[in-house]
Amino acid sequence: MSTFLVSVGIGLATAAILALSAVAFTLEYAVSRVANFAHGELLTIGAYAAYTGQRFFHQNVAAAALVAAVAGCAAGLVMNAALIEQFRGRSAITVFIATLGASLVLQNVLEIIYGAANVSYSFAQGGLHHIGPFLWTTSNIEVILSALAVAGLIYLLLQRTKFGKAVRAVSQNRELAQVSGIPARRVVMGTWALAGAIAGFAGFTLADTIGTFGPQLGFSFLLLTITAAVAGGIGRPYATLGGALLVGLVIQVAGTYTNSAYQLVWAFGLLVLLMLFRPNGLFVRKSATAVRA
Amino acid sequence: MYWVSVVTEAGIFAILALGLDVVWGWAGDFDLMFYGYLALGSYMTMVLTIGKPIPPVQYIIGWRLPYPLALLLAVLVVVALAAVIGAIALRNLREIYFAVTTLSAVTALYLLVENYTPLFDGYNGVYGLINPGQTALNLTYNGYRIVFLAVVLVLLALIYLLVERLSASPFGRMLRSVREDEHAAAAYGRSVFWAKYRAYLFGAALAGLAGGLFAVFISAFNPSAWTPQELLVIYAAILVGGRGNPRGVIAGVFVVYIGFIELTRFLPSPASRPEFGPAMRQILIGLLIILMLKFRPEGLFRERLNVDGRRGRRLGGAGVPASAGEPTGAAAVSGQADAKEPDARERSPQ
Repeated sequence: MSTFLVSVGIGLATAAILALSAVAFTLEYAVSRVANFAHGELLTIGAYAAYTGQRFFHQNVAAAALVAAVAGCAAGLVMNAALIEQFRGRSAITVFIATLGASLVLQNVLEIIYGAANVSYSFAQGGLHHIGPFLWTTSNIEVILSALAVAGLIYLLLQRTKFGKAVRAVSQNRELAQVSGIPARRVVMGTWALAGAIAGFAGFTLADTIGTFGPQLGFSFLLLTITAAVAGGIGRPYATLGGALLVGLVIQVAGTYTNSAYQLVWAFGLLVLLMLFRPNGLFVRKSATAVRA
Repeated sequence: MYWVSVVTEAGIFAILALGLDVVWGWAGDFDLMFYGYLALGSYMTMVLTIGKPIPPVQYIIGWRLPYPLALLLAVLVVVALAAVIGAIALRNLREIYFAVTTLSAVTALYLLVENYTPLFDGYNGVYGLINPGQTALNLTYNGYRIVFLAVVLVLLALIYLLVERLSASPFGRMLRSVREDEHAAAAYGRSVFWAKYRAYLFGAALAGLAGGLFAVFISAFNPSAWTPQELLVIYAAILVGGRGNPRGVIAGVFVVYIGFIELTRFLPSPASRPEFGPAMRQILIGLLIILMLKFRPEGLFRERLNVDGRRGRRLGGAGVPASAGEPTGAAAVSGQADAKEPDARERSPQ
């Protein structure tokens, strides 16, 4: 059993969580053209909701995950209505700064409710399993499988339903979609609800994988999320999954061979390189790389 | 003495805010690295003045230079780092891409300082810069603090005058034209990168200076003193005062610092919940940012532009001609635009 393959296995688990978070981030961007800096707080809200929920549902992991998703969904709806829609038509950087302020507010509201100290779930992590060359806990496997399931569902939703078609139209051009008879405001709302639910669920899986968490959980994961989203190409849900895979593997493998405290430094190195050389993502055809935000 | 300390702190942060306003207010670059420059300035001033480390404490350099010389060297080190970061981040990246890059840089710096102990003793930080020159000047502790306040205020006044002069200079006008419309400014023969780069280095130098003063103010510096989120308070202050207007920026810092320090003193902080007070303060800062952006993005004091040496002409709506299809760069330089729409400059030209 080589160290390298074990770290690849852990990298895949990290990538799964990252993929969930980054897909939600990119969906928000696709319909609202905003780099949502308060996205991390959607994860944190999901994680804390599951923490509150486990008191009522005890060892039921599925119920806790559902609670996290519902809370994230509600938070996404509120965030869209109370913040993002209020700043419609303003420059991207203005909305970005506003979400930065919102992130500060939400983090500290959570701190007041739950305290600054870290909390943890009481779910069992399950035993270790050797699967092929990898070494995973039961909850690692659950996370990876659920991420694949969510990715599949998003694909079906975006490609095969009327709602998905509307989302794609709105993300191309909101005004044009509106005049074509698509209820753009409702589609945006629906997308935020979806993104919030995915983010809430991602927050639960992240907190469960790390073990303990505090009000900064989502914020500290945000930069990794943005790195994954940029790697894939912001606003492109499928490419984002590839970006998450890349970033998850890079930080785990690099973190295994260097001090793990510097994991994030590797991610940022990657992010800066990507933004300098492939600002529109890795998986973009050359002809499509001219546009810049 | 309480007020001396409050005003000193506000004065130091006013210097920092003036620097940040050159970068964000004039050149239009939303920099999240900025608090890192203050931190580096503070650390460098410390390790250049407090002498060799006594094990197990460890940090680099460990000289015993006179304070003013150390301050100067610290500023140079900060400018050197800004030269590297700026060369990478300002070349092609704008707006959110620039913000995310600088946030990555400051987080990487933070992780490095926190985890790599030979640099600045990791989480413990460096300490021991206690009132440099107190014995030479033959002052009591309180007397020294008052003299230090005077030094900070004199420096602030000098920097204010310098910034006002720069603001009215061709350099200040060029930065604003670059901010309003890079392509128009480039078409008028301005080197966009150099304009932004010089503004960035100037801003970083002020941050380094503020850091060196901050080192004397708190006499110890460790990672808990500079989470990158502290920078949001400075942005809130600039937003309140008026982005791009040096006088407004200073007013904003004093209003936000003194207002918030005084307001949050009256918040109930039960002994069982020590985090309540600071958390409320952060919530108020966040709300302040959102509300200012929503309802009064130009701040209490609108940006002014001196045209042909005349004072008091208002710029405010330099973004207006962009919608009229006229090159904004020219408008900003000749200053023909009067304030029509308060948040016109918030809109980016498509």
